[in-house]
Amino acid sequence: MKDLDHLLRVAATFVVVTVGFLVVRGFLIPPTFGKLGHYRAAAVDDVKAMPVRYAGRAARDACARCHAGPVRDRASSSHRGVWCETCHGAAGAHAADPKSVKPGRPAKGEMRAFCGRCHASNITRPRGFPQVNLSVHNPGAACTECHDSHKPKL
Amino acid sequence: MDPMIEHLRDALEKVVGFIYPNELELQWSILIVMYPYVTGLVAGAFILASLERVFNVESVKPTYRLSLLSALAFLIVAPLPLQLHLGHPFRGIEIFLTPNTSSAMAMFGFIYAWYLMAVILMEIWLDYRAEIVGWSKTEPWAPKRMFYKVLTFGVTTVTPGSRRIDDVLGRAITVIGLPSAVLLHGYVGFIFGSVKANPWWSTPLMPVIFLFSAMASGIAAVMLLYMFLTWMRNRPLDMRCLDTVAKFLLTAIIVAFTLETLETIQKAYEAEEHFDILALLVEGQLSFSLVFLQIFLGSICPIILLGLPQIFGVSDQGRKSLYAVSGVLALIGIFAMRWNVVIGGQFFSKSLRGFTTYKLQFIGREGLVAAIGVLVLAFAILAVLIRLLPPWTKDEPGRAPAAGGRAS
Repeated sequence: MKDLDHLLRVAATFVVVTVGFLVVRGFLIPPTFGKLGHYRAAAVDDVKAMPVRYAGRAARDACARCHAGPVRDRASSSHRGVWCETCHGAAGAHAADPKSVKPGRPAKGEMRAFCGRCHASNITRPRGFPQVNLSVHNPGAACTECHDSHKPKL
Repeated sequence: MDPMIEHLRDALEKVVGFIYPNELELQWSILIVMYPYVTGLVAGAFILASLERVFNVESVKPTYRLSLLSALAFLIVAPLPLQLHLGHPFRGIEIFLTPNTSSAMAMFGFIYAWYLMAVILMEIWLDYRAEIVGWSKTEPWAPKRMFYKVLTFGVTTVTPGSRRIDDVLGRAITVIGLPSAVLLHGYVGFIFGSVKANPWWSTPLMPVIFLFSAMASGIAAVMLLYMFLTWMRNRPLDMRCLDTVAKFLLTAIIVAFTLETLETIQKAYEAEEHFDILALLVEGQLSFSLVFLQIFLGSICPIILLGLPQIFGVSDQGRKSLYAVSGVLALIGIFAMRWNVVIGGQFFSKSLRGFTTYKLQFIGREGLVAAIGVLVLAFAILAVLIRLLPPWTKDEPGRAPAAGGRAS
């Protein structure tokens, strides 16, 4: 047994270190980890507690209640898949309090760059998707001078 | 202008053909080249050590302890390139706290911990225990004496029975350690080999190729270290040991090179839809690092140089020079191999119709200096380990191969 003394001590050290690790692990892992998957389940509640900035799906009705014209125009145009908040920005606060909070819209000077995000020529876009070469397509003019953004086809 | 946009704009100018936007910038930098390189050195050095311990290749005994210490030094720095690359070192512990069994990268932590704690540290401790007990009594410098005392775990007697048990246990650990070393480096190849989307990487041969090149690099590194340290200590080189190590090096390089060639031939013969872009890659951006550095300088030259003494009679001095040059060339070639896999695999687009480029940073977290720093750190750790646990005794030139038993 004396010949094994040093090995027993190493084994005991291993056991102590392993148990110590497991104890520390118990403290370090958040209590809700693994409840729903390989993540901290309470993170879902944390995210839910964050303020909602977009009016989202509810906006369809919310927007249509006051802005029936543009919503109708857009619904029949090629922009029907583009949500109001895509161009006007997060409008949750506006839907909740339409009088004091007003949503934005692209400024005239930024409009070419803004519309160009989808419509500037790019070989990777699907063939047939409306694209223009911004440097030759009416340079300097704001897009809305010719196109109605809710019903863009001329 | 934003430095990131500036950087991307520079990269954009060097793009050839059609690539997808997310392929513009290479995500895996030189540090990810260092990672398989350093783990390869660990696995190779350990496999060389096991030759003496498990397979009783007596002639390589003078390199046994040096191999173990080199494996430990490189193993300590092995995760460092990953930590530097990821940039959140404090999160590293989380792979141990909440293990994710579906992630190969996350499971690496466990292979690493097992290999470090259960294999390398235990084997070194068992091999040095008798000396550690002696040093804990005779070391004049108090802090060092205290260090040795801690390592004795309070048992300061060494009986013949305990030495016998240590020896048997040491052998058993090496037997377990061999598959662990294979697993450690096989895993690194597996990480690349299992990327289905990349035809340059995706092959089941990848772990095997990585393993044999790892053996070659580890053996070459230990051989060079042995030659250098013996020269530093002004002692004669054990030529029988050196010849045997060189033979193993030659074998490892031949197997690694053959496997790589076989894989290339098979890819060329299959000529799948991605073959054209791979051929362009080899002829273009990788022509220097693959054809010249990896194949010619790093594989063919060492095979010829190490093969010469096997065919012709070469003097001791001549063999030493041949081995030294071959060792350096093999290390360069294997580094080039890692580079060609990691960086080369990111050069071409998934569209198979375009190439991007890689501009190696000099300074910075992922720059050349950081990569060299990782290597220098490994050698600095090795120097400290050699100080603390000398692989040789002061009064004899290395450990005489004919003496048998361990020096104490």
